Amino acid sequence: MLVAKEAITDYIPHRAPFVMVGNLVSATRERFESDFEIAGDNVLVRDGFFQETGLIEHMAQTCAASFGYLDKEEGRAPKIGFIGAVSKVLVTELPPVGATIHTVVTPLHQLGNIYLVKGESSLDGRILLGCELKIVVSE
Amino acid sequence: MYANDVKMSWEEVIEETRDFLSEEFEVDRDLILPENSLKDTLDLDSLDYVDLVVLIDENLNIKLTGEDFKEIVTFGDFYQLVRKKLAL
Repeated sequence: MLVAKEAITDYIPHRAPFVMVGNLVSATRERFESDFEIAGDNVLVRDGFFQETGLIEHMAQTCAASFGYLDKEEGRAPKIGFIGAVSKVLVTELPPVGATIHTVVTPLHQLGNIYLVKGESSLDGRILLGCELKIVVSE
Repeated sequence: MYANDVKMSWEEVIEETRDFLSEEFEVDRDLILPENSLKDTLDLDSLDYVDLVVLIDENLNIKLTGEDFKEIVTFGDFYQLVRKKLAL
């Protein structure tokens, strides 16, 4: 594990109650991996399940944490990123409170400060969400 | 013969490019003309340029960068860039 959940806010601008990423498991320029335990008091939980918006935000924060970690490792100040677009979304299942979801993101293309990434979140090997995000990183 | 072959393959590249651009960006194929503005005709914003880069990579196996777009105004400019990248 690269960054434990207790230290994840060193790498992302988000703060409670809107931190939607737990441990940063691995991060290279080619692949990001994280996990996240769904707490009962998470603001994006409804009726005991983490909602679609939460899954997408979790994926975006996985990117933010990974970019932040890599920037820091390379001696640069972490930049702030924004979700520019969400596409090709397929949600097949919502994780319940108490579950720990696992997410893998692959950067596909970069054009200037815009990154196109593709990711999947899963629970016990079952795919919950697949989507592509355009992440705009501040200059 | 060789020149004709090159010309034909280049024309095919242009026609294929017009096909996938019109389909992806939902634009009348007849508007994709060398003299027309790439940005205005396809109604591109900065995020759409990423889609354009992906399309070009998937269809023509060319990897474009932000630098490549600095000099591009018209489809004609764009075709010349593609031609240069394909070394045709």
